[in-house]
Parts: sequence; C-alpha cells; structure tokens
Amino acid sequence: MEYKKVCFMYRHEDYVVDGIRSALGLAVENMYSYGVVIDKEIPEIDELTKESIEMLRDMEGDIFTTVQADVEKNDFTAISIEELGEKLREMTHIIPYGAK
Amino acid sequence: MKILNVYRSQPDETVQKLVEIVNRDREVDTFDLTVDSPDYSNLVDKIFEADQTICWW
Amino acid sequence: MAKSLGIFVTTTDSLQHVIGITKAAKAKGSNVKVFFTWKATTLSKDPEFAGLCDLADDVSICVDSYKKQGFDIEDIPEGLTAKKMATQAQHGIMIEDFDCYLSL
Repeated sequence: MEYKKVCFMYRHEDYVVDGIRSALGLAVENMYSYGVVIDKEIPEIDELTKESIEMLRDMEGDIFTTVQADVEKNDFTAISIEELGEKLREMTHIIPYGAK
Repeated sequence: MKILNVYRSQPDETVQKLVEIVNRDREVDTFDLTVDSPDYSNLVDKIFEADQTICWW
Repeated sequence: MAKSLGIFVTTTDSLQHVIGITKAAKAKGSNVKVFFTWKATTLSKDPEFAGLCDLADDVSICVDSYKKQGFDIEDIPEGLTAKKMATQAQHGIMIEDFDCYLSL
C-alpha cells in the first residue's frame, strides 16, 4: 500500500495553528503529513499546538518554516523555498491553506 | 505525471518559484480562477485529466 | 464513469467556486464530497450553503472549527445534520478514497 504524502502551506498567521491541527488530523489517518509556514513570522505558539507538533513528529511528520525567527522561537524546522519546492515534488497532495 | 496549477490570484514571486520547481520535467496545465466567470466545466475536465491539482492562493 | 472529486475548503471567499465546480462535476456524473474547515465553516451561514448541500453527494464541516468561530454546535446550519458536524477524518476520507482532490 502506498501511503499518501500531504503538505500544507500557510502564509497567514490566523491560519497556522488550525492548519497544524489539520496536518495532525491526516497523520493520525496514517498519512505522511507536513506543514510549512512561508515568509511569515508568527507569535509564540501555545502549549496545545506544541504538543500537536510533537505528536506529528512522532508520526514522521514535521512543521517547517522559511523564517529563521520561528526556528528559534517555535522550534519549527528550517527550510528554504527551493528545498520546499523539491519536497513538494514528492507529495501526493499539496494544500495552499487558508488566506494569503 | 500531469500537474494542474489553479490560480486564485496572480502568482507572486514565491508561488512562481514553487510552481517552477514542482512543474520541472512534468506535463503541466493551468487554470485561472481570477476571471469574472470561470468555465467550471472546463476546470472539472482539467482536474479529471490531471494526476494532481494544486490550487494556489 | 466519471471520477469522484473531494473539495477541501479553507478560505472564506470560495463558496461561489465550490458551488460552480460542484455543479459542473455533478453534470458530468461525478460523486462530489465537500469538507469545510476553520474560518471556512462560517460559509455554512451563507444563504447559498443549503443549496450546495442539495447539490453535492456529501457536505460536512469541522465542528471544532465551527465552535471556535463562535457558533453553538447545537445550531446546525441549514442543509446539514448532526452527523455532518464532523472531524478532520472527513478530510482523510476524501484524500484516501476519492479519485481527484481540490483545495479551495
């Protein structure tokens, strides 16, 4: 059986936390699920969202960011736009999530 | 692998870069959703023909 | 036989596109499932939402998102039933079981 690989992309801070929840929702359905915050620094995330990210990572998913400040502040994994583009090529589903 | 890129607004530099990488060496189609009256029937045909549809912001 | 189509709705300005695409896909004999999440659950209060529920084979919304948008979960939008006030598992179903997928 081929597992689905899904990548959510977030560009608006109002959509990041729920978008991470959506990514976790697919990971628990046995999919490889990732989220990427693009070009947007977001406030420090709450404990519940931190737990969601830990669960996501336990299931081989991850949350990435192109913004260095969020690597340090929110413990997201750093990724460049070029690296993201290459990662998207491996995905079965690509989801530009919410508003820009 | 055939990719359909659907645009909900004019693609900015970031989207253009991602699309360029995702499209590389693949068969590609596009659909513009920004027009006044999109031809939804044509869009559905394109979605059915594509292996993957990406609806950009 | 027409392919099936799952539509995942995450934006608040997309209802006309969802309706237009659903109508076109149904005219081609497709099975169409639509799932609304986060801020897009506010679209369930749009006067045209119930019409979409009649049109598509299956429409559901994320009940947790709906609650977070300030709605009472007992206040079920017209066109839906309590069973369609659902979870993110609906998104998983359209990815796993539907031929084609579109996010809006």
